[in-house]
Amino acid sequence: MLFPILAQSQVKSKLWYDGNSRVMYNRDALEGTLKETDTVSTRSNGGGFTILDLGFHFTPVDDIEIFSEVRLKNDFGGMWGNKSFVELRRLSAKGIVNNKIAFSVGDIYLKQTKFTLYNYEQELSEYEPSVFKFYRDFVNYENYYQSNYWRLQGVQTNFSYNMYNFIEQLDFDGFTARIRGLEWLGKPELLMIGGSAIIKLSNKINLGSHYVNTFEILSSSNGTGAYYNPVLNTQLSYSGSLKDIPYKMLLEGGFSKRGWDGDSLAPEIKGYFTKATIKAKGKKSEVNLGFRYVDTDFRSIGAQTRRIDYNTATTTYPYYSNNYTQRKVSLLDIMSDPNVYNQNLSTSLMNYNPMYSSVSPYGDATPNRIGLTAEIDNLNLTDFLSAKVQTQYFSEIIGQGTTNKRSFYKSALHSLLSLDKLLSLNNSFNLEGSINLETVKRDGEDFEKIDFSSILYSGSISYELIKNLKIIAGAKVFYAEGNEFIAERDMYDQINDYSNNTYDSKETILIGGIQHHFTDDIYFTMQYNQFNVLDKTNTYDEFSMGRLIFMFNMNL
Amino acid sequence: MKNLKFLLLALPFFFTSCEKDKIEGPSLNNLYGELTILESLNVVGDSADFSNGESMYFTASFSKQVNWKIKIEGSSGSVKIISGKSNEINQANSLWNGNSTQLPFFIEEDCDVVLTFEMHDDTIYNQLNIQSPKLYNDENTVLITDFENGFNPNFTGFFQAGCTKALTIGGAGQGIKFLQQFGTCDWDWLIGYVDYFSSWWYDDRENLINDPSKLYFNIMIKGDSTISTVTNLPNSLFKLEFYEDENGDDYHDANSEDRFDYEFDVNWTGWRMVSICYNDLIPPSSNSGNGIKEPNKIFKVRTLLLANPESGFAKADVDFLIWSFGSPILN
Repeated sequence: MLFPILAQSQVKSKLWYDGNSRVMYNRDALEGTLKETDTVSTRSNGGGFTILDLGFHFTPVDDIEIFSEVRLKNDFGGMWGNKSFVELRRLSAKGIVNNKIAFSVGDIYLKQTKFTLYNYEQELSEYEPSVFKFYRDFVNYENYYQSNYWRLQGVQTNFSYNMYNFIEQLDFDGFTARIRGLEWLGKPELLMIGGSAIIKLSNKINLGSHYVNTFEILSSSNGTGAYYNPVLNTQLSYSGSLKDIPYKMLLEGGFSKRGWDGDSLAPEIKGYFTKATIKAKGKKSEVNLGFRYVDTDFRSIGAQTRRIDYNTATTTYPYYSNNYTQRKVSLLDIMSDPNVYNQNLSTSLMNYNPMYSSVSPYGDATPNRIGLTAEIDNLNLTDFLSAKVQTQYFSEIIGQGTTNKRSFYKSALHSLLSLDKLLSLNNSFNLEGSINLETVKRDGEDFEKIDFSSILYSGSISYELIKNLKIIAGAKVFYAEGNEFIAERDMYDQINDYSNNTYDSKETILIGGIQHHFTDDIYFTMQYNQFNVLDKTNTYDEFSMGRLIFMFNMNL
Repeated sequence: MKNLKFLLLALPFFFTSCEKDKIEGPSLNNLYGELTILESLNVVGDSADFSNGESMYFTASFSKQVNWKIKIEGSSGSVKIISGKSNEINQANSLWNGNSTQLPFFIEEDCDVVLTFEMHDDTIYNQLNIQSPKLYNDENTVLITDFENGFNPNFTGFFQAGCTKALTIGGAGQGIKFLQQFGTCDWDWLIGYVDYFSSWWYDDRENLINDPSKLYFNIMIKGDSTISTVTNLPNSLFKLEFYEDENGDDYHDANSEDRFDYEFDVNWTGWRMVSICYNDLIPPSSNSGNGIKEPNKIFKVRTLLLANPESGFAKADVDFLIWSFGSPILN
């Protein structure tokens, strides 16, 4: 369903404020052997800023709210206005017509289903220990990632009807957004329209249909081809109870079409998908079992656009070593660099790095997958030990370049040990650990075999020294080993070649410092981080870096 | 309701039976697989009489799609290259009518055949015999001269003192005779020229197709890549001039009729066929005609050997001057 997540408001006054403030300073320095061998790069560099994002909510009448967010930014090192910026970060309005039809215009946040419009989390963020959360909050905030919504610009409306016969309630949502504006001698304008209709047949059964169509306006450019990508998703859900255990079954399916009008060379492809899940909530855990089939030719711009753009340059040491090698996006950038992230929907499948995400690089909408998933959440083993675990097994539907198909296996485990409860301490004392494992295999002749695995070990410890002041430490150790083929695609997303990549990599991230929470949303942290990226295939030089970082965050 | 629950759970599994048996993208076997020769190279139609319109082709098959190249080399030095990308060589992709890729033309001779592959070291050898070579002069061509009957004295011209124009036997691009042209002239760019009047090679000019986009002038030129001592570039410059007789009075009037030119460096060694589409000819800046390319009104073709007077020796022998319709003569 579509829910614009404009800031919640209760009309109490004509004008009220909210926002976010952040102060950040970091100093990065080369470490290890690189410090001695790299005579080209600077020994260290640093930077920081103060940001105030001030949101103004103006309610001229009871049914209308106008919202604007202005960013005041001052980079450290500037004086008297130098390196100071003022920019409009967000502008929108929302309201209700006759207490029946809600609408939002301007910068709106939209989400539908996982196959039509959905902003999937970045790789390796699942089950991440909480001491790393401040980095992820920073990255997500800077890129307008709120939950799994995409920030778009357009108009959205929704309304519902209550009925009293065999249909209890009807909910409707609709939107239109401008994904890409006019480009001088460039691509045509790209628009997206979508809508949802959800029929509540009873308290137990819901039937929903969701539709998104993304298309280019040919007349807005001098080109001869116009992209189109309609996607339809229908969902049927049933809620029930078995031996006092509530459960919910969801069956969904749909199809997509993708092509270019007026371009005789462009293929039109049609793909479909289906997914079934059953979710049960017991006393000690929640269990979720699922089946998923996504066709090779399923394309959905709204659900398959990835957050990380591996073609961008990293902010920290984009080039290093005496060979002036461009540093590839690695785990440290995924964790801490907002500039490697993408904010725009992509009409073609974006590149991904199998090292960090090979099983579902495009989330549930990853094409050419059939398989099963299982997840146990909120597994409270004791009052001081909880865990969550998931496992997925997939296979390709058709092989890439061969009749042999890849098989994918993914599993993840997270556990939280509350030592304060175990040892009856007054101060908070938590130990967290998690493992993310992915494997890809393909049999066959030597030239087509794949045997790849990656594993991320994460752990953290936080101890409350005095009230709200914690000493924290965390570690991530990532291994990737084996080989995997990366498909190279043409402008129409058709595979035209492959590159067989060999991986033998180890990445380490260590953090340690203090963190003080004034409230849940107001805190500061000061840490020392150490990063190491070691490519044992010797394709790239080892990169080692230390970072001293201070961050103050305040959500108003 | 029970049925509905069953339906919800069972429906997705029907999709498992929808598996496709094709593959996505290009075949990995074709890109990275080992090459195995499943059927070796065979010549079908050996000892063909190309002059009679016969042809021959080759057969072979491989374990993968591969870029292959068949090189046929005669004892005359003529070479024919046939290439393709496939997992099978057959009549459709290897039919040979006896033409050449590298001059001279094939003669009655035995030829070596070598099959090689891109990115693979495998090489397959075979041999064939040419019973009778291909005749290029047919209904789609108009031969100006191949010098086999000597040099037509009506083809007038001029060569500077000390420069040579000589009919030579042996080492020709086609047949056994060709025209040598060489010399050094330190006072003028012109080494020499020959006028090939159309009245001596084509007695009914009206029948020469009048579509300049489909008419090709072909000439064999043998260069020696002599490098200029001044410019350090190939020294021999070759120019073709095509004179039209627009009013049909058997005379080209430079003040009122068209001339079209084409010139190029002779920067190669040995024989090479130069083919020019009539449409690609360029009028000189002083052209006085109507500017319309009308090949059926051709009056004469002049071939000029030029060289920078400061740079020394120049050489460009010629053979087999021929018009072809529709395509260059070697296509």
